[in-house]
Order: sequence, then C-alpha cells, then structure tokens
Amino acid sequence: MTWLQNNAAWVVELAWRHLLLALPAIAASVVLAVALGRVAHRRPRLRQPVLALASVVYAVPALPLLIVVPLVLSIPLRSPLTLVVALTLYGTALLVGTATDAFDSVDGQVRDAATATGHGRSALFWRVDLPLSVPVLISGVRVITVSTVSLVTIGALVGISSLGTLLTDGFQRGITSEVAIGVGVTMALALALDALVVVLGRVLTPWQPRRRSVRAPAPPELVR
Amino acid sequence: MGIEFRDVGKTYPGGTVAVAGFSHVVPSHTTVALVGSSGSGKTTLLRMVNRMVDPTSGAVLIDDQDVRELDKVALRRRIGYVPQAGGLLPHRTVVDNVATVPVLGGTPRRAARAAAADLLALVGLDPSLGRRYPAQLSGGQQQRVAVARALAADPNILLMDEPFGAVDPIVRRELQDEMLRLQAELGKTVVIVTHDVDEAFRLADEVVVLRAGGVVAQSGTPKNILAAPADAFVREFVGADRPDRTLSTSEIDGRRVVVDANGRPLGILQ
Repeated sequence: MTWLQNNAAWVVELAWRHLLLALPAIAASVVLAVALGRVAHRRPRLRQPVLALASVVYAVPALPLLIVVPLVLSIPLRSPLTLVVALTLYGTALLVGTATDAFDSVDGQVRDAATATGHGRSALFWRVDLPLSVPVLISGVRVITVSTVSLVTIGALVGISSLGTLLTDGFQRGITSEVAIGVGVTMALALALDALVVVLGRVLTPWQPRRRSVRAPAPPELVR
Repeated sequence: MGIEFRDVGKTYPGGTVAVAGFSHVVPSHTTVALVGSSGSGKTTLLRMVNRMVDPTSGAVLIDDQDVRELDKVALRRRIGYVPQAGGLLPHRTVVDNVATVPVLGGTPRRAARAAAADLLALVGLDPSLGRRYPAQLSGGQQQRVAVARALAADPNILLMDEPFGAVDPIVRRELQDEMLRLQAELGKTVVIVTHDVDEAFRLADEVVVLRAGGVVAQSGTPKNILAAPADAFVREFVGADRPDRTLSTSEIDGRRVVVDANGRPLGILQ
C-alpha cells in the first residue's frame, strides 16, 4: 500500500485518462450498434451479413488491430484516437446483436397502432422503437461498458497510457502492488460505470415495473 | 360526404385474395359495422380507410377524395383509430398517450396534456389516472384511453378494429354503452369491425355482413337484417334462430311477458 501512497496522484491521472478513452468508445459503440441493429432489424436480407461481419470484427486480435487502425486512418500509432477507434469496433461488434434483438423485442401491435395513429417514419423510431428497445439494449450496453473499460488497458502495449500502464510498468519493474492496483482500479472503474448504466437504464424506462425482491404476503388463510 | 368504398379489392403478392370488389358508402355521422368471421377481409377494409393497407383495385374515397392522393401520415392523424387491446404506447403515461396525435401535429405538450385530461373525463375516466402507465390500468380502462386518444385530434372519422374484443362481457357492455353515449354527443362517422354480431347490432346504424373474401352477404339496418336474413349464411351468422332471438309472449294476469325460446322471461311488452 506504500506504493499507492507514493503514486496516488499518478494513479488518479491514469484513471482519468482511462475514462477519457473508454467513454467515447462506449458512446460511439452504442450509436453505431443501434444504427446497424436497426438496419439488421428492418432488412431481413442484411441481417445475417451484418451479424456475421460483427463476429468477424470481434475475432480480430487486439494487438494487430492497434497497428492496422493508425495505418488505415493515417494517424499516429500512439494517438488516443487509435485506441478509441479499435475499442469502438469491438464494442459495436459486441453490441450489434443485442441491438438487433432489442428492436425485435418491440411489440408489433404497439408499432402498428403507433403507425395507424399517424407516427411517421422518424417519429416511429424516436418515439416508439428506440425508447421501447431500451430494456433489452441496456443489458448489452452493460456488457460493452465493462469489456471496454477492461480492454482500454491493452493500449499500454503500444504506449497509449491508461491504467494499463500500471500493468506494463509493474510487470517490467517487478512491482507486484503496482500490477495489483492497476487490476483493482480498472475493475472498480468498470463496475462503477456498470452501476451508472443500470441507473441510466432505470431513468430511461420509468414505465418498467421495478424488480425489487418484495415477497408477496402469504394468502390470509395460510396465516394462522 | 362520408366514406365510399368503390369496388375495392386487395390481392396479396402470393395471390391470396383478401377482398374482391367491395363497394359500400358510409354516410357522414353514422356508424357502420363490418361483421364477419376471420378471413372475411373486414379488418383489411377498415385499414384501407387510413391507408394502413392500399387496395390493389378500386378506391376508397373520403368526402369524394381518393385517399391515395393524400399523405399517409397526415391522413392518419385526422382519422381516429381504436385498435384492439395492446395499442397504447406502454412507455408513455395515459395522459401522454391521449395527447399523442396533437403533439405529433405540433400542439405544445402542455396544451395537449390539458386537453387530454378533459378527454379522459369525457370517456368516463378519472383524470387522476392520467399519470399512470397503461399497464397499471385494467383492460376496460385501457380501451377507454384508446377511445380518448382516437378523439384527441377531433377527427370526423373514427375507425375501430375489434375495439372491445379483449375485455370481459360485462365490461364490453359498459364500453358499448359509453360508445353510444359518446356517439350521440359527437356524431362522428364511425366504421367498426367486429366478429360479435350483438355488438354490431347494438352500436351500428347499418351492418354489413361479410362472407370470406369481403363478399357482402347482406347489408342493412340491424332490424332489417334480423327481420329478413338474406340467406342461410346470414341467418346462421346473426343467430336469427338463437333462443334469445326467438321470442314469444305469454300472458300472466293480463300482462304480456316476453320470453325467449327457453322460456326465460326478458321483460314486459308495453
């Protein structure tokens, strides 16, 4: 713990950078996955190709991707943008299936009635499909939030600093507590963001019954 | 004026004929019921009015204008629509559901909500229910909300697709009474689709009995259809021979009691 006391400011700095890498990637993943999920939902012929492409992208090993992305976009290898783009690719690939399911989950009768009462195409998307897809979508967003926060660490291997820097640095210098703190703070950050997503999900779905584990009272005839 | 079905037909790409050449005029301020069993094309016909379905032949005219010349979305906003159960937006409060169409049309939300509260009262709901979500209401209450939503833009035309089909018989009866009261007050042009001939007879000025494929078996006032069913199909469909439709009187102490075919008393003949 003395290591932490001596390096607290640096850890906070790295955690902040970590967050600045993870949050844009998560946000961009959600937007892209929703857009692609929408396409996959609306066009049955594109469904399989879109979902297959997502699997392929997700299967690309991370390290080569961090080399390829800057080459394709002609940006510096160590640019934070490289990592954000790579993480967005993974996040999108991981979320697109859930996003498709989320649109599939919207009740057809509700959509039909909304159309019949005069929702145009964009009103149907923003006022009906998107809000009603949130309950399913949020479960996928939780997954990519945690996975993105954890994946940010690999950026340290190509010199993009984040909490992952504590892992590479700790390994090289043989400081076990530095590695342990890197792992611990990364996980704590992931869980904190996950909790935030859960809260966000509740705020966005006020109509959903809350699954509080309230036990129903026993029927009166059984109470003696 | 009113709604005219001019020789409309609907054939689906696979060759299935949902409706083959249906013609009928719904005069303004009257209620017409389309009745038939499933496969009679009644819902398809209803959905042609607000262009949820476009006919493959013929035309639907509203006040002598072909609906295909009108913008779909604008057309639907000026026609009230009451779907079967399940048609409310589950993520919007009751008052926002009722305010849906005016808000889509550009009415400020605050004004639309205030008007929606009045509409809830009109359909017999306590405006305090407005803050709830549809799932927190009973089936009957939800259908009242659906009627209020349909009336929100003050449309001339009301389309109702099996509106009371998913509620129990007692509530259905209440809702039908409510509908009669509203119609007496508002005088909309109403097209209602139902498989329940009793509902059609209670609510409609004119009933169109459909066979499979949208073929008219008989149309006329409920009285006329019951008095003279066109054929065995109509006779069977409207239940002309049902015990509760074949009434007789028996005299008890100088008063004539109406009884059904099972001998159950229904009332006194004045």
